[in-house]
Amino acid sequence: MLASVLLVIALVLSACGGGKNDNGANGGNGGNAANNGSSGNNSGGEPAQKVQIRLATWAGADEAKELQAILDDLNAKSGTYEIVQDSNPAEYDTRMITQLSGDSGPDLFWVSAQRAAQFAAGGVMLDITDRLASASHPAADTNDYYEASLGPFTHDGKIYGLPWLQQPVMMYVNKALFDEAGLDYPDESWTWNEFLDAAKKLTKDANGKRADEEGFDANNTVQWGFTLNGWPPAQMFIWQNGGEVITEDMKSSPIDTPEAKEALNFYADLVQGPLVPSQSIIRDRGFDQMFRNGQVAMFMGGAADNLDSTVENVQAFMVPAGPGGTHVTFGDILGMGINAKTKNPDAAFQALLDLTDAIHHWKIMPPRKSLADLETLKELHPNKAHSLEAIIASMEYARPYRYSEKYPDWDNIFWTQLMDPIINAGARPDDLIPKVKPLLDNALQ
Amino acid sequence: MENHLATLFRWLLVPVALAVIAFLIYHLFRWFGWKKKQAMGLALVSPWIVGFLIFTLYPLGDSLYLSFTKSSIFGKTEWVGLDNYIKLFTLDIEFWPSVRITLLYALFSLPIGVIGALLIAMLLNNQIKGIGTFRTIYFLPAVLPEVAVALLWRWMFNSESGILNYILSPFFKLFGMGKPNWFGDPDFILPAFIIMSVWGIFGTNTVVFLAGLQGVPRSLYEAAEIDGASGFRKFLHITVPQISPVILLQIVMGMIGALQIFTIAMFVRPSTAAGKFMNQLVYERGFTQMHMGEASAIAWVLFLIILVLTLLVFRSSPAWVHYESDMKR
Repeated sequence: MLASVLLVIALVLSACGGGKNDNGANGGNGGNAANNGSSGNNSGGEPAQKVQIRLATWAGADEAKELQAILDDLNAKSGTYEIVQDSNPAEYDTRMITQLSGDSGPDLFWVSAQRAAQFAAGGVMLDITDRLASASHPAADTNDYYEASLGPFTHDGKIYGLPWLQQPVMMYVNKALFDEAGLDYPDESWTWNEFLDAAKKLTKDANGKRADEEGFDANNTVQWGFTLNGWPPAQMFIWQNGGEVITEDMKSSPIDTPEAKEALNFYADLVQGPLVPSQSIIRDRGFDQMFRNGQVAMFMGGAADNLDSTVENVQAFMVPAGPGGTHVTFGDILGMGINAKTKNPDAAFQALLDLTDAIHHWKIMPPRKSLADLETLKELHPNKAHSLEAIIASMEYARPYRYSEKYPDWDNIFWTQLMDPIINAGARPDDLIPKVKPLLDNALQ
Repeated sequence: MENHLATLFRWLLVPVALAVIAFLIYHLFRWFGWKKKQAMGLALVSPWIVGFLIFTLYPLGDSLYLSFTKSSIFGKTEWVGLDNYIKLFTLDIEFWPSVRITLLYALFSLPIGVIGALLIAMLLNNQIKGIGTFRTIYFLPAVLPEVAVALLWRWMFNSESGILNYILSPFFKLFGMGKPNWFGDPDFILPAFIIMSVWGIFGTNTVVFLAGLQGVPRSLYEAAEIDGASGFRKFLHITVPQISPVILLQIVMGMIGALQIFTIAMFVRPSTAAGKFMNQLVYERGFTQMHMGEASAIAWVLFLIILVLTLLVFRSSPAWVHYESDMKR
């Protein structure tokens, strides 16, 4: 009796599973008007042998529209593939994890650096090392990429994906507030000292007193020099001071070195001090909104942020160097990989190269040295022209975190046990470091 | 069009398969000698049984299995026995704070929820003009999406400009306190969530109590009035015993709901210093850190906590829950 019930269930399951095999049914239901357009172009001669490549992205409505224009162009030119876009920002990572672990995953997908390290280690991304070596495509030349940008996509010496964007953290500056305070704009020579000095002069209370003046009222501040809420990451300051949070062999977490301690104290002093708004004010008025409104004079954000192109008098500069003059900034890297289970690896690889190259000409900042040309970029991004020189310079020393399979565990402890108490509860790094270091080391074992 | 046909075919395949299963089950059980009515009944519920087996029982069993394995979703799943549980109970720095805050939240929010809902229901049980309108108003919170409510609370709790701190500021001054940083200060996170749970008083809970109250026979109150009972005595000796089955239901459902708090916590995003609620921990372990085995183990510990507490409530119920049918015996 039971056996027969199970048998019937097995039949139903196999019927469901069987249905999934004919691909395209999922992508087709979107009724992409664009697809019809481009397939119409080919009606002249060659037989419709194009392979459908499903692309998953986290693009929101506007971004997806721009991307679709790029895809239409690529699809029209290509005789091998037809990329179908499936964009949805909601729960993107969770969706990708479940789809990739099953058989219904997309052929091509956008992936963040952190997830790329997990996915590559988990074997769900296609190894493209050999394909890259034998391809003669501008986007396939691995020597052209900034070294840091390929890191998250490399696992055990093999390459599993290509970065399409590397955005270094920049310092956006409200030049009107600098002028008002009589300060020079930041330049390459800026270190933490010049930065702190400027932040003091840019913080003022309701009576117009500056933070470095006698009688400054910290409870009545109307303008702050800088802002922090866990972003920009403390790692960046530790690197600038010559420290590390994860060793190169990824085995331990040296946050107790003098360099790291000093940097964490610098960070804690800023976030708990009068030069930065309190966390509740930031939550109330909005982190970047306060900068947009001119309540904050200096703001650190990714190079792709539109602060300099949408707010008047705002320009991006290099972030200040550490006290020893070391220039480092955090580089956020985004890329694209191929599903290891794809049925059309050749077409997917071709689509990956073409689309990666197209995105390099679309977004700031392409992770390729040959594209880091001021004049070309100015033409592509006229509204960010005044910031581009600093952005290109920052590419040279931008670096991502040391991602690995264990990174999320480490990050969870670093954030919940160290950064959260410093930022939200006024805890001091010197008290926390001895307790947190063994936990961090343990997470990397 | 061909693509759509394939989809249509699959959509049709499912009901056809279910119908075939029902047909087979009917004949199978007839063959075993069941009565026509019984076999027909089983055949007709078979789609739901199939759905239960595939979509509920199988995932349940699978998560139990996963809790004894090391699984990163991708790659191989490795059997590790009780390791996940042992690690949770001994090494995991997030587990006990999470159990603590989850239990404390349930401990405080449950009585507030049940008593509050009962009091509101009693108010709404009065025969006054426009009572229908009042009942509608008090039910409205139930139709608001939880995410929107969470964002609203976040705004109200803002320590700088939130309305809550504004209203409470004379009180804080009296005790010489500063404005609390509700979602940042670990000491205030639990109180903030308990205050937010007051929201749960309204809506469905009140309506269920109201239905219970309206089932209490008027004759009992009239008899008590003749004996000169006060309003409070009537409440204590007639209302409470009469609606005690409803109270039991509300306590059990409220407890399960409180222990499974997730949506509000995910959207309010408080500081993690006071610990994450257990369901939050399950989600983050599973999908951010990709330790499905550990996440499943936490989920099963949560399930066991809920099971034990529910059994305790049920065990205690003969002492205070009165059913009509018992009285007649």
